[in-house]
Amino acid sequence: MLGEIDNKMFDLKSVSNETKIKLCLDCGKCTVVCPVTRYDQNFNPRLIVQGALRPNSNVPVDENIWACINCNMCMERCNYNVKFTDFIRFLRSKALSEGVEIKYSHCGVPHATMHMMANKDIKQDRLKWLPKDIEVKEQSDTAFFVGCSPYFDVLFKDLGVKSIEGTKGALKLLNHAKIPFTLLPNERCCGRDLLLLGDTEEFLALAQANLDEFNRQNIKEIITACPECYYTLKVDYPKFLKKWRINVRHITEILAPLIENNELALGKLNRKVTYHDPCVLGRYSRIFKQPRSILNSISDLELVEMVDNQEKALCCGANPWAYCGSVNKQIQKERLAQAKATGADILVTACPKCQVHLKCAQKNAENNDVCQIEMQDIFHLAIQSLSSQEVK
Amino acid sequence: MNPEIIVFSCNWDGWSCIETAINTGLKYPSSVKIVKVNCLSRIHTGLILQALDLGADGVMLLGCETGKCHFDTNNDCIAKEYEKVQNILELLGMNKDRVILVRLPAFNGRTFIKKLTSLIDTVKQISNSDRNRENNIRHSVKNTVA
Repeated sequence: MLGEIDNKMFDLKSVSNETKIKLCLDCGKCTVVCPVTRYDQNFNPRLIVQGALRPNSNVPVDENIWACINCNMCMERCNYNVKFTDFIRFLRSKALSEGVEIKYSHCGVPHATMHMMANKDIKQDRLKWLPKDIEVKEQSDTAFFVGCSPYFDVLFKDLGVKSIEGTKGALKLLNHAKIPFTLLPNERCCGRDLLLLGDTEEFLALAQANLDEFNRQNIKEIITACPECYYTLKVDYPKFLKKWRINVRHITEILAPLIENNELALGKLNRKVTYHDPCVLGRYSRIFKQPRSILNSISDLELVEMVDNQEKALCCGANPWAYCGSVNKQIQKERLAQAKATGADILVTACPKCQVHLKCAQKNAENNDVCQIEMQDIFHLAIQSLSSQEVK
Repeated sequence: MNPEIIVFSCNWDGWSCIETAINTGLKYPSSVKIVKVNCLSRIHTGLILQALDLGADGVMLLGCETGKCHFDTNNDCIAKEYEKVQNILELLGMNKDRVILVRLPAFNGRTFIKKLTSLIDTVKQISNSDRNRENNIRHSVKNTVA
């Protein structure tokens, strides 16, 4: 069985069927919208495909396959829905099997942590941040999947990342909406970065460890605030795990309808904000309106849009913790400049990783041409609006 | 069986301690592997975690005493990295004592051996070893596919 899965993954024919790569018309729309191509002329989605499909090619692995940031902008514009990002993933798997070594960013710490989490016997101690005022059920069918925020706060402390505040905000909002949930003390990373880099074996180990954990606690539904965890658990896990029967919802999908039906009210916050659509929440999961309706329900809050928003939103410019370079930095710089142009005080995002990457660009700016805008998680902002009201 | 220990040693005072230990006939088990680097500031969280990930049971960071670095502009990066590693190990539920930072004056072979022996003892006590990681992954992948 193991062999079958491996063969399917490395079989060019089945991959081209699945990704519809041969439907490519060579129209070049993907290249026009690709943010990587804008800063690196050598990166050309069509040429990568042509090179990979060339029969009996014994050419060395195309270095450019690592530059793709999986922002899905190409698929957004493709008339034939060619899944270029999935095809890139296949090429990366193939390259890894040929012994190519990945150049990790952040000293490889995120990947080392993920690999260690894949260990079956590990017993994590990851809920120390949990404040006492958040009500968590000991037993419940519904679990809140925290994701890697506790790790990010340790790893990127020097960048001033406080992604756990976003998680706390999300949990407080669930409490506010009176939705019961439990937390899992030993959940693993969802493994999305490993999957994107083509490391399917480790990804499966993490996925299986997570499934075991959910089964042990009898979890029927998962709520998560992290877009990457949401997409991976909802779309990728069912593809790889045949026994996956768990319903996955993003917290905005729960809160936005409640707000629209006036069943949930948020407070007041006098700030001007702009919302950055994370690629995985927006283009991948098609959740555009819900975060905006949460922001719009905060009274006195002014929401302004960046030039590129919703389907056209520019990515935060980062690879799955690998091959980060000047191109990525320039994309981040451009996104921050777009945020600055709106005149907003705060750049709000729903993804902890977008925050990490954009803050990294702000910190590593060699001169002052990178906008130093304040960044906040949408759930942290929403809960702030409630607490500021209580004080008044 | 002795646990696998990786010692990241700086080229200066740290290395001199190891040399002195060897020259004075002090011994340590062959399962201890020494990696010489120019300065402990070269070592970052990624390398330490990778050592543990690839099967090391303990890691020792051996360097000069604070303020006595061989290089002029030492900003003591290792202190920050050490703190980071400790926090991550705590999150992972692994024993923090697997990784120790040892700062010694030059030519102090005896103390080096003492610290190393105590690290080996600590690691032996930590029962939950990650040695079988490889097998675990294979096992879980098989379950997934079946």
